[in-house]
Amino acid sequence: MQGLRLHLIVGVTAIFAASVAAGVAQERVRARSPAPAGAKVSFVDLRNDARIPARMTIRFAVGGMEIAPAGMARRNAGHHHLLIDTELPPPGQPIPSDFNHLHFGGGQSEAEILLSPGRHTLQLLFADHDHVPHDPPVMSEKITVEVMAGPEEKPRSAAAPNAQVFFIGLEDGATIPPRSVIRFGQRNIAIAPAGTKQEHAGHHHLLIDTELPPLDREIPSDFNHLHLGRGQTEAEVALPPGEHTLQLLFADHEHVPHDPPVMSQRIRVRVQETSVANPASASDARAATGRTPAPNDAAVYFIYPRQGEVIYPTSTIRFGLRNMGVAPAGIVRPNTGHHHLLVDVPTPPLDAAIPADLNHIHLGNGQTERRITLPPGEHTLQLILGDDQHVPHDPPVMSERIKVIVGNPRKQRPRR
Amino acid sequence: MTRAAVTRPALPRLAAAVLSAALSAAAPPPLSAQSLPRQPAPRNATVYFHYPLDGLRVPERFTVRIGLKEMGVAPAGIDKPNTGHHHLLIDVDPGPPDQPIPADYNHIHLGNGQTEVVVTLPKGTHTLQLLLGDHTHAPHKPPVISQKITIYVR
Repeated sequence: MQGLRLHLIVGVTAIFAASVAAGVAQERVRARSPAPAGAKVSFVDLRNDARIPARMTIRFAVGGMEIAPAGMARRNAGHHHLLIDTELPPPGQPIPSDFNHLHFGGGQSEAEILLSPGRHTLQLLFADHDHVPHDPPVMSEKITVEVMAGPEEKPRSAAAPNAQVFFIGLEDGATIPPRSVIRFGQRNIAIAPAGTKQEHAGHHHLLIDTELPPLDREIPSDFNHLHLGRGQTEAEVALPPGEHTLQLLFADHEHVPHDPPVMSQRIRVRVQETSVANPASASDARAATGRTPAPNDAAVYFIYPRQGEVIYPTSTIRFGLRNMGVAPAGIVRPNTGHHHLLVDVPTPPLDAAIPADLNHIHLGNGQTERRITLPPGEHTLQLILGDDQHVPHDPPVMSERIKVIVGNPRKQRPRR
Repeated sequence: MTRAAVTRPALPRLAAAVLSAALSAAAPPPLSAQSLPRQPAPRNATVYFHYPLDGLRVPERFTVRIGLKEMGVAPAGIDKPNTGHHHLLIDVDPGPPDQPIPADYNHIHLGNGQTEVVVTLPKGTHTLQLLLGDHTHAPHKPPVISQKITIYVR
């Protein structure tokens, strides 16, 4: 499947390159530049059946000819091509340009390549200013290399065996309010912000309701893995009522856990129900402002259309949402909401439920696009995220109010 | 893959058992081979990539943006008709449609209803595919799955 796809792309690219180069569709054989007898190209310090790492710099040598960048027609000169896992291309045609045929048109004589583990073939082929091999072709032997499995791995930062991280004032089985500040500490290891490389130091990660991630690579960054990359030792989290698990995992400047890993016990906490009379709206994270909190970096935006675009009368409006998730109306989940598409109305008050009428389209089932029909002319569109009760978040997550023109986008743009 | 399995720390058995009860909403339930009752999906429901598109060259760190037609997004654990949550399959083929989607580095669960995700991939050729899962992380019937696209990380 993949091989087929690759070949397809190769074919298309080759045809494209050929037609562009010549300006006309052509299958005819190109004039080949002559090469002197005894000219040869070869790999430097790389022999057949060599075992090499996945990432490696390969050097090429040429004898009896000179290197000239592609496009520069010179006698007895040319540039290198590295053929990976492929047969020789037909002579008299430009060498294709794709992942199997690397061109060094700048006259390079070395290249860093990255290969998957396993056996691969490598061959060098010299070609003239037009990428056409010489006559006779100047090429190296085809060698086979074995790429060793287990690509170069970044060594994990070391941690003292007695280094510890722990929660402060929070024990297994504790009951906490829905919105609470979790504090943590560390012993025998220092705090350094993410990106700052320092011996025996790192930053905290708070794992919520999740298993430990693999310890030999970067900790994921999502709603279940909070990165405290500025070196924070506390985090404010809003959790829905019920049981949750919390765990701390320390990691180095590249978010990779230490060796040995420095982590806390996984503790269980119970988030209490609110004592509000109306249990339906039981998210008391909103108790303070009356509104559900949203991350500061959350944003909603139009994928289609964009500001000022001309659209068909019936168009599908597509929404994008950054740093939050979508949940149907009525669902209480931190950092989620549902979309509202506002057509030809100003931004409504942000402290009340978004009205439901023809101009305020609720996408209460979690939809992320909507097909609408509008009369010709100018219209405004705006997106606002609402919480389970259709109330905008705090801070509100809303898009710019964009202007679109309904017409026929393929005909001329309407007068402005 | 195997490395992930090896490095996953061996939690004490008992603790793991106790925790799995608490985690049942967040993680796919430990599944026997029997198939789950699968949620129906509308015939014309489609999940697709806004970005990247098939054959694109992308930087090592990029945002995958997901579009969904004729259905809605709901966080994992929310049982609501015609909704689901996204899974991004990286360099892997989808498993049997009657089994929950595994959770590992090749199957990224967007369990909070996210519609985009930032991924970091090593240089080279990779495949991406989107698969919608229901509240139990099982694909719908018929599965709402995107075309498998190939991208080149440079």
